[in-house]
Amino acid sequence: MTPPIANQIRRLRFEHGEMTQSDLAERIGMTRQTIAAIEAGKYSPSLEAAFRISRVFEVGVEDVFQWAG
Amino acid sequence: MSFREKSAWITLVTVLVCFGAYYGAVLSGAVSRGFATVHLLAICVAALVGLQIVLHAVAARLSPREAQAPRDEREALIQARSHTVGYYVLMVMVLLLALPVHFGHPPGDLLNFALLDVVVATLAVSGAQIVMFRRGL
Repeated sequence: MTPPIANQIRRLRFEHGEMTQSDLAERIGMTRQTIAAIEAGKYSPSLEAAFRISRVFEVGVEDVFQWAG
Repeated sequence: MSFREKSAWITLVTVLVCFGAYYGAVLSGAVSRGFATVHLLAICVAALVGLQIVLHAVAARLSPREAQAPRDEREALIQARSHTVGYYVLMVMVLLLALPVHFGHPPGDLLNFALLDVVVATLAVSGAQIVMFRRGL
């Protein structure tokens, strides 16, 4: 079941110099496959990972993830 | 494909091959019961360990950074959930051991049934990991 959480990671990556999934994964200590799963909405990250991602893009968590239920 | 998913595939395939050969030989009657079966089992286990070491070394060489990195949170969750699946499969299989006991199979056969429980549970763990890696959580 797909979690009802939308995310803007793909857009944010491209707005930050076309950052690759691998680059983002390396910066937050995850695998590229996990970033791909989060981006595709197949996996909801922990609160810690969500904060790590938002800090990479220098935005708030709510600018990266939105409840879409 | 991540290193952990490759590892799950390696486990699934090597267990299928090695114990498939073992149970194929036992069921076809190619080996006599007793010590011949134990020798064949020892060979199959040695082959399994050897294959796993070689294939994991190859997989680690293809993606050395992933192989050395600790599991991230999704991989840890997949590992935990797959072991839960394996636990329930093992419980059911152990309870089913009552059947061969009821039908009066000799102790040697019971050992093979017990080993089959472990093999099936291992396959269930690897299979569950592959499904979760492929389809998400």
